[in-house]
Amino acid sequence: MLLTLDLNDPRPLHEQVAVAIRRAIEAGDIAPGDRLPPARDLAHALGVNANTVLRSLRDLRDEGLLEFRRGRGVSVLRRPDGRAALRTRARDLLDEAARYGLTAGDVVALITDLSEEMA
Amino acid sequence: MTDPRDTSATGFRTRFLPAAAAWAVLVAAVLVAVPLVLAGRLPDPLATHWGPSGRPDGSMSFAAFALFPVVLWVAVAGIGIGVAARARTLVRRAPRAFYCAGLAWAGGLLITTQAFTVAANLDRGDWTRAAGMTWQVAVVVVAPIALGALGWLAGRRGPDASPAPPPAEPVIDLSPGKRPVWVSTATAPWASWLTLVALAAAVVIAAAARSGLIRDGWGAVVPLALTGVVGAVLSSVSVRVVPESLTVSVGPLRWPLRRVRLDRVERAWVEERYPAQVGGWGYRGLPGRATIMIRGGECLVVRYTSGGELGITVDDAAAGAALLNALIARQHPSVER
Repeated sequence: MLLTLDLNDPRPLHEQVAVAIRRAIEAGDIAPGDRLPPARDLAHALGVNANTVLRSLRDLRDEGLLEFRRGRGVSVLRRPDGRAALRTRARDLLDEAARYGLTAGDVVALITDLSEEMA
Repeated sequence: MTDPRDTSATGFRTRFLPAAAAWAVLVAAVLVAVPLVLAGRLPDPLATHWGPSGRPDGSMSFAAFALFPVVLWVAVAGIGIGVAARARTLVRRAPRAFYCAGLAWAGGLLITTQAFTVAANLDRGDWTRAAGMTWQVAVVVVAPIALGALGWLAGRRGPDASPAPPPAEPVIDLSPGKRPVWVSTATAPWASWLTLVALAAAVVIAAAARSGLIRDGWGAVVPLALTGVVGAVLSSVSVRVVPESLTVSVGPLRWPLRRVRLDRVERAWVEERYPAQVGGWGYRGLPGRATIMIRGGECLVVRYTSGGELGITVDDAAAGAALLNALIARQHPSVER
């Protein structure tokens, strides 16, 4: 499974790992029914503690994206719905805006402008 | 499946299976008929083993001599044809030729061995007076190999599945501030079961031997424990690619492991490899051209700048190869500077 961690993300590590896994599911790199690699392999590759990865996996299970099955490991249950997928991308957009010195308000204004143009 | 190559495989199977079965029946018929027809002219027991001098030095009862090769052949041919006839093996030329060669060689070996044994014992009143073996040994070695070569040629005829088209290249974000990693595994459930059964048997026998329930049990404990360890190592492989290195580790403990710095990797790609091609499971081939074979199928192959290659059977290999190649391409300008 291909995962990308954002090194400039100020959020706690377990959230960053969850974001990376959620993105891989959104992108279709890993499909519903597929099994995730063992948590300690993920932890090793990401350079984080195995408990951190387990915490992200539990969060994603609580979101309904993953399924834990005894003896069969962790597998993908479903892809995130449109709202959740957009939320991740909006978060990326806000992060990028911050790098250009724009606030969330500026982004909202930008989106309002855009939607008026398109209407 | 809607794959067009599968329909040709079905047609091929209806020709392949009767031919293989005919060979199996022919060999079995010879193995049964020769001792039965000549039973009256053979001693009981008859000489079945010859020493280095060429004189007979071991014997077997007639019943065992008549039965043993047939039972062995039924087992070998049954397993061989059963495996070769599986759709996945049947449509691929290399493993099919391998199994055909094996079947031809095994049949030839059993028939030539039986023929020379019968000839040496024919019309001798007692096995100790059986004829010597000299040049016959060379025939027993060479003739089955020649038959095996014919079997290999016969097995090469027919369709060869074209490898599956490569999946779309995944998008890899190599922008600064991003850390892409790839993690994947392959598992062989049968090896896990082998481990469990072998270790459980080793523990039970060791306990029984220690408590005096059985005598001479210790001899079986060591090979069983070794089988368990080998099974454990063969049960899974884990491959990790991070921007600095490639790590390959095997077994439930992820040890032994091999870590390679990415500046030592030239490129990576995906291949289909099967146990019949590389000679079985485990670490196959010589260092520099080796495959870590856990299960047949998709395989990540990396080529080192030293010229060596390593193949690892692992799921999702295309994404791993794409990440490796992207990371190598990124670091190349700085290497050439």
